[in-house]
Amino acid sequence: MQEEVTYMLGVVLAGFAVNFGLRALPFLLFAGGSRRLPGWVERFGAFVSPVIIAVLVVYSYSGLQWRTPWPYVAGAVTVGLQLLKRNPLASIVAGTAVYMLLLNCCGCATRRTIELNAQNPAVRVTLHGVVFGDRYVDPQEVPDILEDYDVPHDRVIHIQLDPDVRDLRQARMLMGFLSKAGYTRPVLVTKRHAESVNLGKARYSPPRSRAPEKSIRYKKASE
Amino acid sequence: MSDSAETAAVTPPRERRAVFRRAFVDSLPVLMGYTTMGFVAGVLLAAKGGVALSPLWGFLTSSLWVTGTMSIAGVPEIARRAPVCAFALMTLAVNFRYAFYGFSMLKRWQNVPLLQKAYLVLMLTDENYALEASCPVKNPARNLEYCKLLSVLNHSYWVVGVTVGAAVVCLLGKLVDPDVIRRGTDGMEFSMAALFIVILTDQICRKK
Repeated sequence: MQEEVTYMLGVVLAGFAVNFGLRALPFLLFAGGSRRLPGWVERFGAFVSPVIIAVLVVYSYSGLQWRTPWPYVAGAVTVGLQLLKRNPLASIVAGTAVYMLLLNCCGCATRRTIELNAQNPAVRVTLHGVVFGDRYVDPQEVPDILEDYDVPHDRVIHIQLDPDVRDLRQARMLMGFLSKAGYTRPVLVTKRHAESVNLGKARYSPPRSRAPEKSIRYKKASE
Repeated sequence: MSDSAETAAVTPPRERRAVFRRAFVDSLPVLMGYTTMGFVAGVLLAAKGGVALSPLWGFLTSSLWVTGTMSIAGVPEIARRAPVCAFALMTLAVNFRYAFYGFSMLKRWQNVPLLQKAYLVLMLTDENYALEASCPVKNPARNLEYCKLLSVLNHSYWVVGVTVGAAVVCLLGKLVDPDVIRRGTDGMEFSMAALFIVILTDQICRKK
């Protein structure tokens, strides 16, 4: 809790400093107020701003279900409306509504089935968080997602641990959520282990070093 | 303080009222935009940001940043607890355009006292700038009055939108299952992409 407050305070202050700094920049540069803006600055700005925004469009798509056609359909709707009506609010709201509709109504049609095996674990624990398939998820969400895919509770669920993850707290938390939701057999695997299975090496190579190499199996309390 | 009294003395009450009416009418489209987008930003922050006290953070971010782009685009970063410096860098890239708005206001706000100027600068958002830049009021004192009023109005719309959005989700979260909210808001993250698409479309079209 306290960590969160400190973090958020930092974010608030950083955002304020950068935003205000950017807006105040011209006033700081031309404190006299009489000088004119050099032509190249204007041209630079006119060129750089759209490029940055284009990069941001691509970046924002990476957080969406970009393997499905839906974000592109919604994007086309947004552009079309904006060109026609020139009303940013209407375009944004309509595009978002289209995307939400497509995702929630047709999303299930395109939802891939997941393979839960050691070769390509659907769940990964990385330094930045938990990844399910191709997107970051809240560890608490993982049981619900599995539920969505109708994964039986007694299935072995492989959770791949990225090699650079030293801190096991998040993985333990995830295991906790899974076992609380009734999934009795979550297993942590390392990338190397997954790859060795992939290559068809049946033999289990013994862990060479630290704890992450070991696979932990959680048992139900009643077991 | 003394300055506002001075301006009040310079500008007769009837004209003041006219300026106020002008600013208020001009701010109405922004009222629609800011409350809606603010609401979305607040809902996203509370539903996907993974922070307790989201109405408080919504209030602080909306009143201090006054940027729709970062309020929406920053939510995934907050959710995965991106380092503060990474967050600052992202803000720099996302809001780079703000650095160009002030240039056309340099002369107009030359003699405005520092605190008022700082507030006007803080409120150089896309919509606010567009309105101020195309303001029909030519008299410098009344123009300043117009800019200040417009800024206060638009600022309040934005803050109310974000805070209410976050508060609604926070309260709902106490009443219904958080999963329902999480699923109900699925796809709302497209609003960020849509926002960028709209800005890009406008920027490309303006060039031609």
